[in-house]
Amino acid sequence: MLAASMNGTVGHSILLVGLVCATFGALSTVYGIRTHDGRLLRSTQRYAIGVALAGVAAFAVMERAIVQRDFSLKYVQTVGSADTPFLFNVTAIWSALEGSILLWLVILVGYTVVIARRFRKRLDDPLVAWALVVMFVVCMFFFLLTLGPTDAFARGAEGITSGPGPNPLLQNHILVLFHPPILYLGYVGMTVPFAFAIAALITGRVGERWLTETRRFALFAWAFLTIGILLGGWWSYEVLGWSGVWGWDPVENASLLPWLTGTAYIHSVLVQERRGMLRVWNLTLLVSTFALTILGTFLTRSGVIKSVHAFSNGTIGPYLLGFFGLVMVVSLGLIAWRGDRLRSPGAIDSPLSREGAFLANNVLFTLFAFVVLLGTVFPLIVEALQNRTIKVGSPYFESLSIPFGITLLFLMAIAPVLPWRKASGELLRERLFWPAWGGVVAIVIPLIFGANGLAPLLAFGLGGFAGGSALRQLALATRRQGVRGLLGRANGGMIVHLGVIIVAIALVASTSYTHSSRLILETGQPAAYAGHTFELVEVQKFTTPRSTGVRAQILVDNAKTYAPAITTFTNFGDNIPTPSVRNGIVNDIYLTLESGAKAGSTTAAIKVFIKPLIVWLWIGGAMMVAGTALAGFPGKRRRRPTEPTSAPVRLDDLPQEEPVNA
Amino acid sequence: MTTTAETIVAGDGGNRLNKQVKGWPGWIALVAIALVALIIGATRSSGPLTDDDRLDGISQRLACPVCDGESVYESQSPAATGIRQQIKALIQQGAYSDDQIIQYIETKFDAKTQLVPKATGFDSLVWALPVFAGVCAVAGLAVAFRRWKMSPDTVPTEADQAIVDAALREQGDE
Repeated sequence: MLAASMNGTVGHSILLVGLVCATFGALSTVYGIRTHDGRLLRSTQRYAIGVALAGVAAFAVMERAIVQRDFSLKYVQTVGSADTPFLFNVTAIWSALEGSILLWLVILVGYTVVIARRFRKRLDDPLVAWALVVMFVVCMFFFLLTLGPTDAFARGAEGITSGPGPNPLLQNHILVLFHPPILYLGYVGMTVPFAFAIAALITGRVGERWLTETRRFALFAWAFLTIGILLGGWWSYEVLGWSGVWGWDPVENASLLPWLTGTAYIHSVLVQERRGMLRVWNLTLLVSTFALTILGTFLTRSGVIKSVHAFSNGTIGPYLLGFFGLVMVVSLGLIAWRGDRLRSPGAIDSPLSREGAFLANNVLFTLFAFVVLLGTVFPLIVEALQNRTIKVGSPYFESLSIPFGITLLFLMAIAPVLPWRKASGELLRERLFWPAWGGVVAIVIPLIFGANGLAPLLAFGLGGFAGGSALRQLALATRRQGVRGLLGRANGGMIVHLGVIIVAIALVASTSYTHSSRLILETGQPAAYAGHTFELVEVQKFTTPRSTGVRAQILVDNAKTYAPAITTFTNFGDNIPTPSVRNGIVNDIYLTLESGAKAGSTTAAIKVFIKPLIVWLWIGGAMMVAGTALAGFPGKRRRRPTEPTSAPVRLDDLPQEEPVNA
Repeated sequence: MTTTAETIVAGDGGNRLNKQVKGWPGWIALVAIALVALIIGATRSSGPLTDDDRLDGISQRLACPVCDGESVYESQSPAATGIRQQIKALIQQGAYSDDQIIQYIETKFDAKTQLVPKATGFDSLVWALPVFAGVCAVAGLAVAFRRWKMSPDTVPTEADQAIVDAALREQGDE
């Protein structure tokens, strides 16, 4: 069996092999393309497999080192601990900078080998070959990071026999097992459409075919990014003790930015496929999405921005900034070089058309991304230019996100009923009538139950309107095609829309109508708040090998006991609150224990939050995922899937579709 | 049993009714109800804010001075807990507005703790730039649509025109 102290040497060796495979993969593929050597190009798959094996093996060796507590490694000394339970020991690998880059790498090499396998019969096609070159180059960069500034296999100080373990917040909930890998599946997955976009620019085959071929990869990455973001919100809600799901923290914003541009892309790509338009725009969105994953990682992993999530102790910053610059220069240079081929052959006839709505949607998502990026980096700009500090937090982002949210809901109501080319006023009056009544009902019902405030009621109304529109489309599709009417991009997309609407309404309700109160409870004396009763049963002490804490048993509504706690992790000393939540369809009751509670005491101070509609966030999220999965299936077929639906086909696409000679 | 003609008449009647319902009167009724409901909701009071609601609102606007990117509302650090207690004490005195309490906290901790950037000086850019970008985007869209409207979608070649002419001739012969 491999000796524990060998982990560092083996890990370095494997990473070196991976770097060599990625380098040779890139070089030999470029050479094969230049010399039209089909045999060489078909061997690319071997390099992809080599890269994948190296990435997976490096990850496995590090995981083994952490699980077996090999404290000869510096990284294990940082995140490992003799007392950490197995589950959190396994997840400790992505609890700090070096391991999170290893996680990025293992997912990236996975995508690389999937691309090589998926297109194995077309490895001699220059488009696929150049896409693999880009994947190999990105792999090279991440292998270099793991061998340089984020070296997880570096040797640590002698004589260390234990470490502090992962951050206490990362050993407090099962979601630590799911949120980071799922988020990275989305984040890193954006590399695939980017690689094909660059390949399309290099080969000059900027028509619609590469879009249709990478459509599912883009959807897959977008879906995982969506799930990852939602799981992050759930985790925050369950662990952090402030009852919120989104704090506009820089790390959260870093995950939202590519989601916004990615969402714009999966809409605008439809216009290119259908009408052959927006080619430059779509390429720019893909480049932006990938570049934002790198920029976001730079902002949150280089130490330039302080965040509760950030790992800010490395020298990775200049590498990421340099790579970001390279991506931007190469991508924009290629777009400028191919400018003549990127001119769109068509025109959008009217703003009141499906493509007009998609364009408006894109402008909104891009503007929103700009606002989020500006708010995130503005403190850095002020510090750099004026040598003073300011803070930009959630009140700024929330106030600016309201107009975007309202306008997007309005567009979601209108767009599904719009035909391509042009819509008449009469047609809109006819198709929007019942969805609009859905909006009225969605205002009146909350009003009857006591809701107030213009912005939330307007959001409910537009949500009802948009929901009516989506349901109308689904009803028409299922009437025509039965269950098959739920499949395909348009119909699956409507289910995603319904999920987004539910999430939006839940967010608005939970933000606008949350109430909270601090209650001082005494045993045997129930206190009342917001129509519920809370009674302290007892305050208990608990001890684990890595922590001590107190837990208050609270009887809610004389029905069930909930136990908010405060845990002190021995190696860190910080008090970590653990909320206890009664989930409900209408309201959640969210309980936290205030500091100062003592075991055996007959009194305890708790904070009670009444949070409306929170559970609908997760239901809406599940619908978004289900809808995306249904959108991935082929719907009603009119043409072959690889055939562009746009009428004009540029002649310059045709000769180059031929693979190079063997 | 109805005859086919009766069914068609009934169907026409249904369509006509459907058209009438979805015509302007239906839309005017819809907009009127929505507006009335929104006005009622916007002017309806939610009752006086409790001390805890005010505390939450104020603490959401302040950054925790010792934390990495958390607000006083979110943070569980002793410093944030202390600030929350101070805010609550000031609220209970009943003599201060939210802005006065925030100013007091900023002075006491000698730190720029507000999470909302000011709308003056250089900081105003963080508010102005999104508006400027929005105006540019709308103007850009307007220019693009105008250009698309002025330029025809596709220009038929002579060969295309010949095909159309031939088809028209054939149609004329028939």
